[in-house]
Amino acid sequence: MALLECVQLSRNFGGLVAVDKVDLAVEAGEIVGLIGPNGSGKSTLVNLITGVVPVTGGRIRFEGHDITALPSWRIARLGIARTFQLLRLFKSLSVLENVTLPLQPRMASGQAASAFGRGRAAEEDRAAVAKGRELLAFFGLVEFAERPPTALSIGQQRLVELVRAIIVGPKLFVLDEPAAGLSPPNVERLIDLVRRMRDEQGITILLVEHVMKVVRELCDRIVVLDYGVKIADGDPQAVTNDPRVVEAYLGGGREQPHARG
Amino acid sequence: MRRITPALLALAALALVPLASPSGYLLHMLIVVFLYVILAAGLDLVMGYCGQYSFAQGAFYGIGAYTAAILHRDLGLDFWQTLPLGVLSAGAFGLLLGIPSLRLSGHFLSITTIAFQTIIYLLLTQWTSFTGGQYGLPVPKVGTLSLFGHELFRIEKVREFYFLALAVMAVALLVAWRLATSRIGREWRAIHDDELVARAIGISVTRDKLVAFVASAALAGAAGVLVAYYLEGVSPTDFSIWTSATVVAMVIVGGRGTIFGPAAGAIVFTLMPEVLRATADYKLIIFGVLMIVMVIFMPMGAAGLLRRERS
Repeated sequence: MALLECVQLSRNFGGLVAVDKVDLAVEAGEIVGLIGPNGSGKSTLVNLITGVVPVTGGRIRFEGHDITALPSWRIARLGIARTFQLLRLFKSLSVLENVTLPLQPRMASGQAASAFGRGRAAEEDRAAVAKGRELLAFFGLVEFAERPPTALSIGQQRLVELVRAIIVGPKLFVLDEPAAGLSPPNVERLIDLVRRMRDEQGITILLVEHVMKVVRELCDRIVVLDYGVKIADGDPQAVTNDPRVVEAYLGGGREQPHARG
Repeated sequence: MRRITPALLALAALALVPLASPSGYLLHMLIVVFLYVILAAGLDLVMGYCGQYSFAQGAFYGIGAYTAAILHRDLGLDFWQTLPLGVLSAGAFGLLLGIPSLRLSGHFLSITTIAFQTIIYLLLTQWTSFTGGQYGLPVPKVGTLSLFGHELFRIEKVREFYFLALAVMAVALLVAWRLATSRIGREWRAIHDDELVARAIGISVTRDKLVAFVASAALAGAAGVLVAYYLEGVSPTDFSIWTSATVVAMVIVGGRGTIFGPAAGAIVFTLMPEVLRATADYKLIIFGVLMIVMVIFMPMGAAGLLRRERS
């Protein structure tokens, strides 16, 4: 059984079919790349999987459970974390508060206990801070823990977003264009980090990416969307040589596909 | 802890004021300030922290006050019994108003809260058999607090009521402060910043918003019970949309999402008309200009300016 399974998944916006009957399966432990030209429906597909946008047709199953109609916060608590195409950190929280926030809804003690109690709630809050600091330290960001996220560079903010996603130990991590706006050395670091997330922590990864280098180096398998339709699904070498994929990217021809945008 | 020390010092100083045998007028003004501090700190939870604009704080204030008056009239309950009940009933109405807020945002939510405020005001003025209409209802003095037949203390004079109001304000501020700086406060700020991402990381936005509405209304309910016993009566005019709008102005001018900023706003807006008594006719114009100037030049209020200077 696949960890994530989309069956005939569709989404219409008025007359526009953004995602058209897409079948997608992600096995546990895989790194799957999702590519396609601008406007091909990649982000919509991610939004469907994470419950941000409601589904028009088809089913989504996660660990065998139907999550098609669940709200995004329930899906998040089941173990699907994500990042967003544009940086979306909470700017009125500190970096540390940003990364520990996802732990809060998963705590055993309630919100009232945190506001008025001591004991267990305080203990859990302290544990969350310790864990947040530990992960920030791992990413070389601990010195910024008390600062607002806007004080960080774009690359550092991307890292904070990664920490915020992995702190809960998600089973599936969906990254929406994580390399956008990163400098080449940071892209190298990102590739290394994503690989280590899978290898060391066993997180399954679905990666939407424009930067071909990232996709080719990281992914076990690549899925290609064009105009909302899945046009290829297979190992990176085969997919990047697939004539239909080349055509989707370049409008015909025999060259290797390059990233747009 | 650092940030709470000045607040403790201010409360201690306020507790010493009656010892200097001040005029009854000063004590009266300070009691009114305390009431508005509770209202503004309460509204700050829903408005400053959670980002939901509510123009119904005056209605919850009224619900607390009328709960006290009606429970006294019909069941003969006293201040100590109606204080928690006023808090509860205002909180319950907060839940009622919070439910539509789950589907609405921005201007639409604000308009809904104005509608709620208006409905409550109409009920207070028109449902004469229950609320006493325009004449309102009488409320007795707080009187004595007895425990097992033993008289603990007596609250009859303004000076005695001053301590009661100060104590209730201190507790209200503590509750607001604890909520704002605990987990739920962080979740409110996250919802304020980016509701979609808050949901995506697993926060139950709906529930958190409801908690904000209930907590905010419950604090206003406490202020309502206090004012009913302070004025020894309730009448609808104290709980109109003007009260709500004034509290909103206090929160915005003082600085959203800081608790102490709105408390400072409450002090300014309560004392300013007294200081500028000669300009009473222009009060609303002055308030309006002040609001516009603040929103344009200091959108985060006076407290926001302080914070920026420090960092």
